[in-house]
Amino acid sequence: MPNRIGVYVCHCGTNIAGKVDSQGVAEFASSLPGVVVSRDYKFMCSDPGQDMIIEDIKNHGVNRVVVASCSPRLHEKTFQKACARAGLNPFHFQMTCIREHVSWVTRDPVEATRKAKHLVAAAVARVHWHEDLYSRKERVHPDVMVVGGGIAGIQAALDVARSGHRVHLVERAPSIGGHMAQFDKTFPTLDCAACISTPKMVAVAQDPNIHLLTWSEVTKVEGFVGNYTVTVHKKPRYVDEERCTGCGMCLEKCPTKVVSEFEEGLTTRRAIYRNSPQSVPSFPVIDPDHCRTLTGKKCGACQKICPSGAIDYEQTAQDFELEVGSIILATGFDTLDPTPMAQYGYGRYPEVYTSLQFERMNNAVGPTGGRILMKNGQPPQSVAILHCIGSRDVNYHEYCSRVCCMYALKYDHLIKDKVGHKAKVYNFYIDLRCFGKGYEEFLRRVQEEDVTFIRGRPAEVVQEDGKLVVVAEDTLSATPVRVPVDMVVLCTAMQPRADAGETARVFGISQGQDGFFLEEHPKLGPVSTATDGIFLAGTCQAPRDIPDAVAHASGAAAQALAMAARGTVEISPTVSSIDPDICTGCRACVGLCAYSAIEFDARRGVAVVNEAMCKGCGSCAGHCPSGAARVRHFNGRQVFAELEGLLDALPPAPAAQTQASPETPAAKA
Amino acid sequence: MSQFEPTIVAFVCNWCTYTAADLAGTSRMIQPSNVKLIRMMCTGMVDPKYIIRALLSGADAVLVSGCHPGDCHYINGNYKARRRVKLLQEMLAQFGIDQRRLKLTWIGASEGNDFARTVAELVEEIRALGPSEARAVPAL
Amino acid sequence: MATIARIDIGEGGPVRAVQGFLKTLLASGGVDAVLTPAHLAPGGTVMPVLINDPKALDRADPLSPAFPLNAARLVSRLTRGSTSGRHVAAVLRPCEIRAFIELVKLNQGGLDNVLLVGVDCPGAMTNADFRAFGLEGDPLERSAEFLHAAARGEARPGGQALAGACRVCEHPAPDGADIILGLHGADLDQAIPVLGNTARGEGVLARLGLPDAPGAPGRREAVEALTARRSAARDAMFEATRERTASLAGLAEYLSGCVNCYNCRVACPVCYCKECVFLTDVFDYKPDQYLGWAHKRGAVKLPTDTVFFHLTRLAHMSTACVGCGQCSNACPNDVPVMELFRTVAERTQRAFGYQPGRSPDEAPPMTVFREDEFSEMTGEAH
Repeated sequence: MPNRIGVYVCHCGTNIAGKVDSQGVAEFASSLPGVVVSRDYKFMCSDPGQDMIIEDIKNHGVNRVVVASCSPRLHEKTFQKACARAGLNPFHFQMTCIREHVSWVTRDPVEATRKAKHLVAAAVARVHWHEDLYSRKERVHPDVMVVGGGIAGIQAALDVARSGHRVHLVERAPSIGGHMAQFDKTFPTLDCAACISTPKMVAVAQDPNIHLLTWSEVTKVEGFVGNYTVTVHKKPRYVDEERCTGCGMCLEKCPTKVVSEFEEGLTTRRAIYRNSPQSVPSFPVIDPDHCRTLTGKKCGACQKICPSGAIDYEQTAQDFELEVGSIILATGFDTLDPTPMAQYGYGRYPEVYTSLQFERMNNAVGPTGGRILMKNGQPPQSVAILHCIGSRDVNYHEYCSRVCCMYALKYDHLIKDKVGHKAKVYNFYIDLRCFGKGYEEFLRRVQEEDVTFIRGRPAEVVQEDGKLVVVAEDTLSATPVRVPVDMVVLCTAMQPRADAGETARVFGISQGQDGFFLEEHPKLGPVSTATDGIFLAGTCQAPRDIPDAVAHASGAAAQALAMAARGTVEISPTVSSIDPDICTGCRACVGLCAYSAIEFDARRGVAVVNEAMCKGCGSCAGHCPSGAARVRHFNGRQVFAELEGLLDALPPAPAAQTQASPETPAAKA
Repeated sequence: MSQFEPTIVAFVCNWCTYTAADLAGTSRMIQPSNVKLIRMMCTGMVDPKYIIRALLSGADAVLVSGCHPGDCHYINGNYKARRRVKLLQEMLAQFGIDQRRLKLTWIGASEGNDFARTVAELVEEIRALGPSEARAVPAL
Repeated sequence: MATIARIDIGEGGPVRAVQGFLKTLLASGGVDAVLTPAHLAPGGTVMPVLINDPKALDRADPLSPAFPLNAARLVSRLTRGSTSGRHVAAVLRPCEIRAFIELVKLNQGGLDNVLLVGVDCPGAMTNADFRAFGLEGDPLERSAEFLHAAARGEARPGGQALAGACRVCEHPAPDGADIILGLHGADLDQAIPVLGNTARGEGVLARLGLPDAPGAPGRREAVEALTARRSAARDAMFEATRERTASLAGLAEYLSGCVNCYNCRVACPVCYCKECVFLTDVFDYKPDQYLGWAHKRGAVKLPTDTVFFHLTRLAHMSTACVGCGQCSNACPNDVPVMELFRTVAERTQRAFGYQPGRSPDEAPPMTVFREDEFSEMTGEAH
C-alpha cells in the first residue's frame, strides 16, 4: 500500500502564523508525493489539534504523519502519543520545527515561509522511509549493588536496605568507614566523626538486607540496565569469618610490625591487623606480604593464640557473580601526595604533615591518643596551615577541593583548644570558601579565636635553626613574609582514585577532564551517569564534604530505588543494529563504541549490538563503510531522503487543494 | 536583491547544537534563513557519505556541529566526527571544494547566541565564496 | 637484518633458483604449503597458486612481471580464523604485503600462521601488457629477461612498459616481510641474497641450511636509487592528476568513463566490505527520484552516483591505499583510478600521519581518535 501522509502545519497562535504563511505551507505540502491530507491549525498540540490527527488516521487512512510546529524537543512525544492512540506506530511520525528555527528567527515573512516549506518537504520525504519500531520492556532485578563503603556508600546502602531491597555492599579495604573513620572532629559542628559514623557502620553490619563484602573488589560488570551481572573478587583474609569473635588477642601476639596505612604512616600496625577496635567487620585480616607464616618463615603466633581456631593460612581468593538491577559507585577519593612538591618539605622535614596525618594526630585512638605533638613529644607552639596544596593550581588540579578551608578552620580551633590559646596558628590561604550551612558562622568563630590569616600561597618551607620557616607573600599588603613555626600542615587536594580509570572501564562509565567520574548532566543529572542503571555517590564524582556526600548518596539510593520499585525499564528502539549478512567482522565498531555495547561474535565472525546497552549514538553507523551498522530511525535512506527534501527546488505551488480545517477557512488569505 | 543566497545544510546533534538553535529561537535571535538543520542524535552518526551527498547535490556548504569536547552526550562521538570531517576536508580540497564549505563547530546547548552568530557568519562567508560548483555539474 | 643467506643461481637461471628455495622452504621451513605466483599451463597466464606438492613448484614464478590481482585478499582468506595449526608461506610483492597488513588490522586475516616471503619488486605489467609480453618462448626465461632488463633500469623491460602504479611506486622493497628475496642490486647471474627480516624469518632461515652470504652488496643503494626515481615520477603524477581534478567539473570529466561496474572496488585489496554499500537498498532509487533530479538540475548523468561512489570510496579507504594499481588494471574503460586514489591518499594519509602497511600495530585513522587533536578545525586554542 502506498504511503498516505498527513501534514499538519501549526500556527501556534501568532507565534508561527505571524511570520510564516501556515496555510500556504499546508497548501504547498498537499502537492508533495504521498501527501493525502494537509491541514493547518491554530494550536496543533491542543486536544482538538491532536484529535484532528487521530481522526485522519482513523478515517482517512493516514499512515504517516508530519507535524510542522515548534521544536521536536518540546512536543515530539506529544504527537507520537497521539499517533499511538490512533493505532499508528509512533515512529511513523516526523516533526519539523518552524517556530524556533523559522518564525522566531527570520525577519522576512516570504523568506520564512519558503524555509518552512523546505523543512516540510524534507520531513515528508523522510517520513516515507520510517519503519515500525517498538520499545522493549526489560525486567529490573530488585537488588542493588553499592561499591565502596565510605560514608557515601554506607548511606546509600542503608537507604536502599531500609526500603526492603537487598543491597550488596562491596568494599575493598578490610573494613568499611572510608576516610571518615580516620577523622576526629567534623566541621562545623565539631561533633566527633566516630560518634556519628560508627552507629551507621554497625547498622550496616546488622541490617539483614545488606550483604557486606569487605576485602573484595568488583572485577567485571556485564549486562545492561536492570540486569547487571557483577563479578566480585574476594581476597583471602586468612581469618575464618564464621569462627572469629573479634577478640583481638592475635593482634597483640603478632611479632611483625608494618607501617600503618590507616594511621597515614605515623605509626605501625601488625601483620594481622584491623584499623581500630570499632572496625566493621571486627575480624582482622592478615597482610600476606608481611605475615611471617605466609611469606614462608616460621611463626604461627596468631594461630596458636586464637581461642576459636579462626586463623586459616590456607584460605584462598574467591570469585563469584551477583545479579543486580543497578549499581551505585561510591569509590571515594585519594589525597594528593605532596612529596613531589619539594618546596614544602614534606618527607624531608619531620614536622611537615599532611591533613590526614593531622586528623590521625587529633583522633583519640590515633597514634598520639588525640594530642597534638611534635615528634619530640612536645606540643607545637606555632603551626602553619597551608591551604590549597595541589588544589586551584594549574600544575596539579585546577579545581577547588571544597573541604580544605573548612577543615583548616577546624584545625585552627583544635590547636587553640588542645595546645592552649597562646599557640600561634597561621593560615596561608588564597580565598576562604565557607559556603555551607553554618560554615561562615564557624569562620567568624575561629577568627575570634586569635588566628592569623595570611592571603598568599607560600613559596616554600625551609628549615632554619631547628625551626620551620614558611616563606610567602602576603598579597593583601604586597609584603614578603617569613613565618617561623614548629609544625606545618599541608591541606592536600582531594583527587580521583589512582585507579579511577580502571574502575570507569569496568563499569562502562567515563571520567571528566579532572579524572572524577562523569555525571550525566552537571546540573540536572549529578547522580546518574551516561550508562543507565549506574549511579554515583559522594567524592568519586567530585570533591565533597560529608553532608554533601551523604545527600548525594541518598540521591543515588533514590534513583536506584525508583528503578527497582518500578520493576521494569523501557528500552528505546532507536538503537543500532548490525546486519550480519553485510558485516565483515572488522571490529572497528567494537572499538568505536563508547558503551561497550558491541561484541564480536567469533563464531559467526560478525559484530553484534547489545541493544540494551546501546544508546543509539551512531558512532558505529557513522563509520561502518559497508553500512552494516545502522541506527534505527536514522538510517541512510531516511537521512538521504531528508537531505533531498531540503535541497529540492520547490515545485510550482498547485491550486488550492488543501482540505482546510474548519477554523481556518481557505478564504482567509 | 539579486545577491546570491546559498543553501546550507547543517547536521547538528540533538543535545547541544539543535538545543542551541532552539534557544536562539526562543531568544528571537534573527538569522539568515539559508541554513537548514538536519537533526541527528550525535555528530558521531554523521556518515561521511551524507556530507558528500549534500555537497554533490548542490548544497553550497555543510555545517557539522555538536557538543564541545568533553561535553558529548555520548561521551566522545564529537571526536569521531572531527576525524571524519577532517578526512573529508582533506579529500574535498583536492577537487577545488573550498574547505570553508565544510565547517565543523562545537556549539553547546546554552550557546544560542553562538549558534545565531555561526549561522550569520557562515552565510556571509559562503555568499562571498559564491555558489557551489556542484550546482552546475550534471553528475552526482 | 642479522641473518643473510644466499640462493645460488645456477644453469637454470634465477627463477629456477627461487623455485629451489621454495622447495627447501616447503621441505624444512615448517610450512605446510606455499602460496606463490605460478604459470598455469598452457597459455602463460600467471596466478597465485597454493602449492603443497614440491613438484608443482616447478611452475612457480614469483619473478614474473604478471600482476593479475593483489594477493593480499587471498592471504587474508588463508589466515582468517583457525588454520588448525598449519602454516603457509606466501610469496608476495611489497604492495601485497602492505595491503595484507591493512587487512590484518581490520580483522580480515592474521599474521600467526603465515610466513611472509617478500620479493624485491622491480614492478609489474598491466594484464593487457603482460599478455603481449608473455605468450611466446620459455616463460621462465622471459621472466629472467624481464628481471635483467629491469635491473639495468630499462624503461620498457621486456619490451612493455611497467604498469602506471609500478612506475610511481616508492616502495620497491618488501619491508614488512619475514624473509626478503633481495633482488635489488643483486648479480642475477650469481646469487640472490635472502634476508631474515623478523625474528620469525630469521628462525625459519636458520633451519633451511642455505649458504651464508656476506651481505646484500649494492641492495641499499639500488633501493634508494629506485625509490628516488619513482618518487619523482610519483610527484609528477600527483601534479598532473591534481591539475586534472582541481575542480568538480574536472573530477566529473576524469570519471566520465565510469559505468558503475565497481570492478575497481572488487580489485582493491583494502576494500574489504563483503557487500559494497552502493549495492544496498540505500541506492535503490525509484523512478521519481531520477526524474526529480533531472527536473531540479536540468540534466543528470546516468548512471548516477559515479562521482559519489568514488568520493565515498576515497573516504572509506584512501587512508589504507597502498597504491598497487589493481583498480586501474581492472577498469574496463581505462579510467585512471589509481592516479586519483593515490593523489588523494597522499593528502589523507599525511593528514593523519598514517602510512598503510607500515605496522600491524598502527590503528587505521578512522577507527581511533584523540581528544587533543585538530583543535584548529573548530578554532580553539590548544
